[in-house]
Amino acid sequence: MKLGVFIPELLHHLFKKPATVDYPFKKLEVPPDFRGSPYLRPELCIACRACERDCPAEAIEITSTNEAEKKFRMVIHYDRCIHCAQCVDSCPTDAMQMDNLFEISDYDRHHLKKQWDYARAIVKPKAEPKT
Amino acid sequence: MSFEIPIGPQHPALKEPVGVRVTVDGEIIREADLRLGYNHRGVEKLAEQKTWIQNIYLMERICGICSHSHATCYVQGVEKLMEIEPPKRGLYIRILVSELERVHSHLLWLGVAGHEAGFDSFFMYVWRDREIVMDILETISGNRVHYAINTIGGVRRDLNELQIKHILESLEVLRQRSAYYQKLGTTEPSFVARLAGVGYLSKEDAIALCAVGPTLRASGVPMDVRKDDPYAVYDEVPFEVCTADTCDVLGRTVVRIKELMQSYNIIEYLLKNLPAGPIAVRPPRKAKPNEVVSRYEAPRGENIHYIKSNGSDKPERLKVRAPTLANYAATIKMLKNGFIADVPLIFAAIDPCICCAERSVAIVDARSQKETVVTMSSLGQLSLKNTNYKARKREAEWPL
Repeated sequence: MKLGVFIPELLHHLFKKPATVDYPFKKLEVPPDFRGSPYLRPELCIACRACERDCPAEAIEITSTNEAEKKFRMVIHYDRCIHCAQCVDSCPTDAMQMDNLFEISDYDRHHLKKQWDYARAIVKPKAEPKT
Repeated sequence: MSFEIPIGPQHPALKEPVGVRVTVDGEIIREADLRLGYNHRGVEKLAEQKTWIQNIYLMERICGICSHSHATCYVQGVEKLMEIEPPKRGLYIRILVSELERVHSHLLWLGVAGHEAGFDSFFMYVWRDREIVMDILETISGNRVHYAINTIGGVRRDLNELQIKHILESLEVLRQRSAYYQKLGTTEPSFVARLAGVGYLSKEDAIALCAVGPTLRASGVPMDVRKDDPYAVYDEVPFEVCTADTCDVLGRTVVRIKELMQSYNIIEYLLKNLPAGPIAVRPPRKAKPNEVVSRYEAPRGENIHYIKSNGSDKPERLKVRAPTLANYAATIKMLKNGFIADVPLIFAAIDPCICCAERSVAIVDARSQKETVVTMSSLGQLSLKNTNYKARKREAEWPL
């Protein structure tokens, strides 16, 4: 390879916009199908535990807090979550959703936890769950 | 007078732990011995405790570069076990991602080959263009590395017109650049001189030692699972099996560049003939007792998953044979009678992926050098003993 071969490439890069962005001030758009972190919409959850059963990382915990009033508690351990969005696919009522945040780091893994206390919703599951 | 030199386990060629112990006579390698087992993670044992759906994500995490190939190989096998047929559009998208992955893996390898041969501008050019295909994968699946596009019975993300247009446009750029690399890789005198004749593996040896993938095809054997035993929709896609007959690292480079060109054609064909319809069918939760062997042509060679089910929602046994493992025997042959300086290049030429290949643990006694291999059943016994014969799972304390 002769050195002259590089010259057009060099000149091209001299007059090009930088390939990077000034990250903390400017942010790139994430793609529409980006898998961020899962969150729950408690008004839709029928506590069928499909997400808990299918989660490959065992990051979702659903416990019954009050049997009589049909109260449930869901805890998502984001430190274990592998962001695969299987819970969204498994959910029959669209109660599990994905956000598109990517700056989710923390100093302590015990802070990476979110909890919802809710009463079981009465929503009819869709005939054919989304796969 | 001969010496024994250990190369590795830290980073003999790529940044993964594998050890080579070479016996040298001057500068010439006379004997080579591979030391494996530095990266054993117990994936197969873990797979027996997870359900069919959970295992997709576990299989995907066997390897970062060929994550889609392990997931597809597993999913194909499970679909056979469950006796379901994914819809055509789903298969097309699955194969599209697998060809894009082949492009990204081969571009990565070309860069590594350039780097190992001391041609770093080639490395930077190629890795710059690899970003294009990484961006395509990101727009399709949402993530750059673990696409998670497979599910049992189809795929999880659909393609729209905008994405198809974006892929076709990027493909043109990649085609042009790859043609340039083909010219560069085969005519650039110093690059060719470094690669030609290094790591010779004759056609007979390649067949006898069961080499797979580009290593085998560079020795002039046209063997490709996509042609020989077509899975998914490969029987309707026109493409050629690329071979070279130089039997050395140069041949492996040429085969990979030619395969890039074939992959671009396949991607274009898939996008232009994408059938309409659903992308997935709903799978059952359990599979009947049966066993299946699933084959898949990963970028590095033939990938085999053996899956056995016992009627429950978990596999009874899952065995992964990654392409790198099949190429180890041929690597020893290639290393013999070569120079020490060629070890990284020969090693890199099989595109080793250690985390794919490590499936056994050998315990070596430091004093007596005695080796014992830990079997699967004794590993299972050990884990049962350590947990007092109780299933671990939810009650377990997290170590941190």
